[in-house]
Amino acid sequence: MPPRKVLIVDDSKLLHRMFEMMLRQYPLVHAYDGKEALERLAENGDVDLVLLDMNMPRMNGLELLEAMKGDARFKGIPVILVTTEGSEEQTQRGLDAGAAAYVKKPFRNEELIAVVQRLTGPAA
Amino acid sequence: MTVRVPKQTDDQPQRRADALAELQSTLARAGELLHSLEQSARRPAPTSVNELQDRLDDVVQDRDELSRRLAEYEQQTGRLMNLYVATYQLHATLDPGEVQSTIAEIATNLLGAERFALLFWNADGTQCEIALGQGLSQDASGFYSAGKYAGGDPAVDATLTDGVLRMGPLDGSEAVAVVPLTVQGAVVGSLVILKLFEHKAMLRPEDRELLDLLAAHAASALFAARVYHQTDRKLKTLESLIQLVKRG
Repeated sequence: MPPRKVLIVDDSKLLHRMFEMMLRQYPLVHAYDGKEALERLAENGDVDLVLLDMNMPRMNGLELLEAMKGDARFKGIPVILVTTEGSEEQTQRGLDAGAAAYVKKPFRNEELIAVVQRLTGPAA
Repeated sequence: MTVRVPKQTDDQPQRRADALAELQSTLARAGELLHSLEQSARRPAPTSVNELQDRLDDVVQDRDELSRRLAEYEQQTGRLMNLYVATYQLHATLDPGEVQSTIAEIATNLLGAERFALLFWNADGTQCEIALGQGLSQDASGFYSAGKYAGGDPAVDATLTDGVLRMGPLDGSEAVAVVPLTVQGAVVGSLVILKLFEHKAMLRPEDRELLDLLAAHAASALFAARVYHQTDRKLKTLESLIQLVKRG
């Protein structure tokens, strides 16, 4: 099985670096806001999973999620919301918008890896 | 930037060495357990049901111990990874704005701080300025306004003076943690964490390592970036002047 490709969408360089370390066995694609993420998705037709922050400039996480669900090319890609927004209401809003899972920052690394593996299967 | 000498020195290298030693010990123990499992598998075939049951119990016990050790190892790896990434990112740039953003990202994304203030003494050491803040408009204490820390929080005042890291609950203070920012052992400011996100009830033991890291690295990274920025600006001014003279 070819390795699963993961798109990281977050405006924090620190988080991008952290995901690079945590998900070393996956090919990663990086974007720093929602609009850039849509461009990366269009360029990389083989993205299997999106890790998505909520608060970002230009286009936030929920807007990107809605745009993905409204586009036949991207609507089947599972999205994990990884965000500091921790209230039940926020969580529900993210899941209602079509997120497959919701992880609150700060997270334990093994917790995030478990969610990623649940949605992609083990890395090749 | 004014400097004040702290009473305590940081023990960051020792903590890292301890974490590494702990990790090595866990790996060694995991290796022993694997060896023991291999030996169990090589033993001669059991002659009775009781013997078979005993062996099965041993294997189950070893397996449980191995899983526990593996979970510990994963946690330690996660802690070390956080420390490595935070250090790497703090020193990855010579742009003062980016270093400040990294400090804010560590506070928010790794520590879970919803409200915090990054304080630095001004040039003559008379006032503590807020270099960066988040959620301070919702702070009711009145200590943090108009871009300055007015003084009055006993824990913050103490840390700005003695350079000691303080973690809440703190007498007479609403701060969750007060982290001294030091350059070559001298206090130049402080990171004050005033409130954590609701889903993070309290700082965990591993957060202490990140706070120590910030105390040791944040200010020196920012100091280096500021010095570089100033020097670069002067250099560009001189170059422009030289160009002007050459043209004249």
